[in-house]
Amino acid sequence: MKNYIKTIVSLTVICAVISALLALGNSITAPIIEKNQASAANESLKVVMPDGEEFQEVDITKYKLPESVSSVFSEKNGGYVFTVEVTGYSSGLIIMCGVDKNGTVTGTLPIASAETLGYENTYGEKLSGATLETIDAVDTISGATKTTAAYKTAVKDSLNAFVIMGGGSVDLRSEEEILNDELSKALPSADGKFTEVFLTENVTHIKALFKADNETGYVAYTLSLDGNNYIATDKDGNVPENSDATVVEISNEIKMLISSKLTEIDITAYQNMPAQIQKAYKTNNGNFVFELRAAGYGINGGNQWHPASGEYIYIKASASADGKIIAVKTLSQKESEGIGDACADKKFYSQFDGKTEENYGEIDAISGATITTNGYKTAISKIFEAIKILKGEV
Amino acid sequence: MKKDNNLSILLKGILLENPVFVLILGTCPTLATTTTVIGAFSMGLAAAVVLICSNAVISLLRKVIPDTARIPCYIIIIAGFVTLVQMFMQAFLPAIYDLLGVYLALITVNCIILGRAEMFAGKNSVGKSVLDGVGMGIGFTLALLSISTIREILGAGSFAGIEIPFISNYKIEFFVKAPGGLLVYGIMIAVVIKLTKGRAPYKKDFSCAGCPSKGLCNPELCRDRVKEEA
Repeated sequence: MKNYIKTIVSLTVICAVISALLALGNSITAPIIEKNQASAANESLKVVMPDGEEFQEVDITKYKLPESVSSVFSEKNGGYVFTVEVTGYSSGLIIMCGVDKNGTVTGTLPIASAETLGYENTYGEKLSGATLETIDAVDTISGATKTTAAYKTAVKDSLNAFVIMGGGSVDLRSEEEILNDELSKALPSADGKFTEVFLTENVTHIKALFKADNETGYVAYTLSLDGNNYIATDKDGNVPENSDATVVEISNEIKMLISSKLTEIDITAYQNMPAQIQKAYKTNNGNFVFELRAAGYGINGGNQWHPASGEYIYIKASASADGKIIAVKTLSQKESEGIGDACADKKFYSQFDGKTEENYGEIDAISGATITTNGYKTAISKIFEAIKILKGEV
Repeated sequence: MKKDNNLSILLKGILLENPVFVLILGTCPTLATTTTVIGAFSMGLAAAVVLICSNAVISLLRKVIPDTARIPCYIIIIAGFVTLVQMFMQAFLPAIYDLLGVYLALITVNCIILGRAEMFAGKNSVGKSVLDGVGMGIGFTLALLSISTIREILGAGSFAGIEIPFISNYKIEFFVKAPGGLLVYGIMIAVVIKLTKGRAPYKKDFSCAGCPSKGLCNPELCRDRVKEEA
């Protein structure tokens, strides 16, 4: 018993004494370390803006800057250095970006990153000298799209922030916000709430169709008209009588789309129907609509960091009877977060629009998600097979 | 046990009982930090400081620390000193702090320090323990310096970051990689055994008699060695 107490007491005393010593050490060194880090930060300010002098931190709460901008230093000659945090392949990619008084990028530096390939260390050179006008023309690096695109976004945010700091204004809306604003402008009665309509018929003018949630009408997105990309109609697809010919054609296309009726096909009646085909429908114009199941990373992947979810990717796709894809949409998926889940992005699946059996493979893969991309492509390839089976060609 | 005089305590760490080449302790930092001379030298010094301080304190407390809890006590003391060294290095030598990275914190579990605490400081007076720490620290630093000199010159064509003309055109990158480290380390051990004419590895403190695995290895050989030393 005595031994136990002695053990406990001596361990406790030793711990207490050591803790006191550490506290003392910390009180001596902490301010020096802080000063060192501050001067190191100043050094990196010099790296991104070699000609900069007398950097001073700016209180950014007064400005409405892009959300990614976390701190701003002003410089004697009218330039600024921005610290911007973005998410590339993984979160926490922090970029420092110098912008001189003319709005030109003087240099960039990644000050923290958890990217895998290290492209963030070299990509910045491409962006030096860029301005708000020229930055969009700088290419990202394929194979490291996420990292380099995020890097570019960070630098662009810095350039936007520079304009705002100078009293200018910048369109900071996201793509979705811009789309919604355009739709609302075309059809104000919808109160800004729209749902995209899945295209099931062949149309030439319409690239996308949006239905007002309160059923007051439709807005079609088209590239056939110069300057006016959004055409609004009433709830039956009608446009004003004296509209020009193309608008009338668009109106007719909308009417065809909204009158499209789906009849389910009993796929069990067809032998050799690929397992990816879950359901098949025929439209009254003879086109097909499929519900597909793709085995992506959720089925064929999995490792200790990204376990497989065991879930298929569910896809809706429409195609004409001659084997041309009209539209594709990811309905649900449980691929790896931040990687394969990009298969739910319109940017990815809309690549299949208009593709045929010959060229469906010519799409940009999801960076870092080969298994997801391949599973998705395989499912898409089964559409062409299914059409042949349904037409009795196989 | 023959009473060691102070000078021999100090000197034995340098060659006869060199922690790296003879006791084969602290292999991990030895391999990891010897790619550059500067890294190796600062690692050696940092470990030496911790070793001297922890030896002194552990020896001072050797009567107070209960036998059953001595390892946790040693570790706390060692970890405390390592953290202090870390703090001061970050404050006053930030470049070297960044260079050593995680290996600085890993001094805590460096076998040399715990090994000397257990083998020496826990049984000897403060003065002798400090001398032992100084000797072992110098031995460790010299060992790291010798390995890193070979590795940096051959592998990076430089010494302490200064490029050596001619050699820098013919770097053998193998030497700054892990296998090169193991090769140089092995050769250095052989050289030290040769220099000490094979006496060193049979020193009493760490011979079969004091070996925890003595029951497992060749008993014939073991008995001979014990006899030889008796």
